[in-house]
Amino acid sequence: MTAHKSGPAIFGSLAALVAAGPILAVAWVAISAPWGDYLIHLMHTRLTGYVLNTIIVTSTAMLLAGIIGTATGWMIARLDFAGRGIFAWALALPLAVPAYVAAYGWLDLTQSAGPLQTPLREAGLPALAHLLPVIRGPFGAGFVFAITLYPYVYLIARQAFAEQHPDMQNAARTLGASRWRTLTGVTLPLVRPALAAGLALVAMESIADFGAVSHLGAPTLTVGVVRAWAGAGSVPDAARLAVVLAFFAYLAFALERQSRARARFGQTSGGYRQLQRLRLSSWQSGVAAIFCGIPILLGLAIPLGRLLYLALTEPTARGVMDGLTNSLGLASITAILAAVLGLGAAYAIRSGTPLGVLSARLASLGYAAPGAVAAVGALVLFAALQTVMDGIWGGRFPVLLSATAGALVFAYLSRFAAVAIAPCEAALTQVTHRLDEAAKTLGAPSRRILTEIHWPLILGGVGIAALMVFVEVMKELPATMILRPFNTDTLAVIAHNYAADERLGQAALPSLIIVLATIPAMILAARSLTRGADR
Amino acid sequence: MTRLFLSAIIAFSAMACSQPTEREVVNVYSARHYDSDEVVYARFTEATGIEVDLIEASGDLLIQRVQSDGDRSPADVIITVDASRLQRAEEAGLFAQTDFSSFASGVSDRFIDPDGYWLGFTLRTRVIAYAEDRVDPAEITSYMDLADARWQGRICIRSSDNAYNQSLLASIIAHHGEETAEAWARSVVANFARPPQGGDTDQLRAIAAGECDVAVVNHYYYVRLANSSNQEDLDVADGIGLIFPAGEHGTHVNISGAGIAANAPNRENAEALIGFLLSEAGQSAYVELANEFPAIDGTQFDNPTVRSLMGFQADTLNVSTLGDNAEAARRVFDRAGWP
Repeated sequence: MTAHKSGPAIFGSLAALVAAGPILAVAWVAISAPWGDYLIHLMHTRLTGYVLNTIIVTSTAMLLAGIIGTATGWMIARLDFAGRGIFAWALALPLAVPAYVAAYGWLDLTQSAGPLQTPLREAGLPALAHLLPVIRGPFGAGFVFAITLYPYVYLIARQAFAEQHPDMQNAARTLGASRWRTLTGVTLPLVRPALAAGLALVAMESIADFGAVSHLGAPTLTVGVVRAWAGAGSVPDAARLAVVLAFFAYLAFALERQSRARARFGQTSGGYRQLQRLRLSSWQSGVAAIFCGIPILLGLAIPLGRLLYLALTEPTARGVMDGLTNSLGLASITAILAAVLGLGAAYAIRSGTPLGVLSARLASLGYAAPGAVAAVGALVLFAALQTVMDGIWGGRFPVLLSATAGALVFAYLSRFAAVAIAPCEAALTQVTHRLDEAAKTLGAPSRRILTEIHWPLILGGVGIAALMVFVEVMKELPATMILRPFNTDTLAVIAHNYAADERLGQAALPSLIIVLATIPAMILAARSLTRGADR
Repeated sequence: MTRLFLSAIIAFSAMACSQPTEREVVNVYSARHYDSDEVVYARFTEATGIEVDLIEASGDLLIQRVQSDGDRSPADVIITVDASRLQRAEEAGLFAQTDFSSFASGVSDRFIDPDGYWLGFTLRTRVIAYAEDRVDPAEITSYMDLADARWQGRICIRSSDNAYNQSLLASIIAHHGEETAEAWARSVVANFARPPQGGDTDQLRAIAAGECDVAVVNHYYYVRLANSSNQEDLDVADGIGLIFPAGEHGTHVNISGAGIAANAPNRENAEALIGFLLSEAGQSAYVELANEFPAIDGTQFDNPTVRSLMGFQADTLNVSTLGDNAEAARRVFDRAGWP
């Protein structure tokens, strides 16, 4: 593999390095601050429990999200059935439901005092009521993450399935391989980078979540981090735990990449050929529609429906329209910048230069750190930057950097760099170096290679990166809370404030609007996918 | 040259977020996020012409933000909902020492920081809710009674991540020492009806569902159900009574408190705001809309349910001891295996 330097790669390396700033600031705090005895106390008491919960929550979420995301992604990309056009974007909607909102809805619904168990008990069937599962504990939390985060896998896998060259499957089938063998032996291995990218995002977000796991009684290491932080002057201890957390997440995916690198699959061409979707008979169509409907029901309709039902008897939420404007503005700006960042970083990784790969990986690390800690990292960074600005200015620099909207957008970018990079990287792996070499042999200048070969192949991936970051920003809490300018509420903040105050009904409306506000973007992404496949 | 360039950026960003300089403001960093607060701030602006600029976030994040902005922080007033958070903010040097005596004449001394950095403006009690058909309220006169084996499999309470549980245990440590507190926590864990999950309202609903007989909750969650327009909520509240323990050290009281920021750019406005929070207009809003207890005795308000709960025997310790014992409380919880 030739390491070739190009504009995008150099830009990407630098941008990723800047985006890695907050997590590096966290690491600096972890290393430089004096040590207390909290970590030793933790080791003697709850560390094992935290680690165990983290493993159960994350692996449950990955397993379920992997199955749901891959199956639905394949169905949408490869099958033609009634309602496919709607499911194509609707399947991504649960991503817009904040995990803690789904957790509140599900626990409220399934707990002993909830509307499922109560009627059974009142009908004199307490034993039957007791048999119903309660969505709580580490498995319950894993379930909640799976049904709200599977769209990561779905979106990236769908793209990969759609861009896969049908000749491969045709060849396998011609050689007498069964459909199943074709699927497991050819189709799935080819989308492995995409699956890994999606699952990595599911895992990292599950690891970093605080709201859902603490509500469902499944304290993971992140709960330990937040608790450490609540202790007097324990920011350094929280930073240490967060760094360890991010490191392990990184290690897991580094190992996965290593094993993938040994079995390198490349496609000789991308989605230029019309992909023949398998047309389903009417009853098969029905089965497919039901299958695609279930995750939407679990991740979106049931938990939000429960909250909306509660909303019927509660006063409406305040400030929702202002919140919508703020959320949309912040999410759109960040999504566009993130797509540029993700694309640049993906090129940096592809270039193979040590700086490029390292900075892109570092930038992705921040996603596995608890959001509150990442926000503190941004604060530390801005405080340092303020000192630098004072130096350049030669006195007190008149703008408080941390109080600007730019600071918030930067914090988002750095937190969600992983979300932006993963789909871009997955898309770019579809473009093999051999493709570049062929074009070069034909005398094409690198600009033409980029615009006429790379761009059409990776457009879908970049779009998905922008979409996923858009949705993430719509849901983001800690950085928004602490870096927002005065009097600026977002929908996520409004929803959280009501939910934290145990006014679930009032949290319903802002949550629902978050979901509704992402629909246009989801449809747009689904359209671009269809166009790509039709070319 | 660099300076010129930077000036251009500043001029631009100043234009982008143009604020008329004439405006009288007070910058509030608050960990409260209730509808009642909006009402109080609106009333304050109406009465004084001073506008309230607001940032709401969790207490820990607020402390971090004000600390990292240092002497540039625009914060005038810092508000948190748990006394131990106020103590942390004080230790981080975020507050200016203030003579509260001029506007806090009705506030009991135990809700004012002895060092004069902050004071409480609303009170919230952590009380014991019980199923009226299954529990004789005379069985419990103190939080310590919850350790009794007769409650085995009958207690619902939230996780120890909850700040109000931490402060409750901190008060027990203050009265009885760490060893007794740890033994108490272990016994309560042994009496759990189920692993901690959900919020305080969920614990109340669990009593109604028969999953447990007693629960430890902040009083205003019960009041909200009792004052609700929803029949299901009323049914839950109907079968539940509240015990305000009068034995041993009395009922645990926590505060929503405020202090003036060390580098407050609008100090006079900050004092005016805190004075207003303690006025009848402020206090009545907190009681009527958030169901908290007023910090000023004799406040007039319209909330019969809250009125009926008043007159309890409150813990006499100064609330600043909660912060002193908060870290110890978290560690006792960890050792006791309280999730």
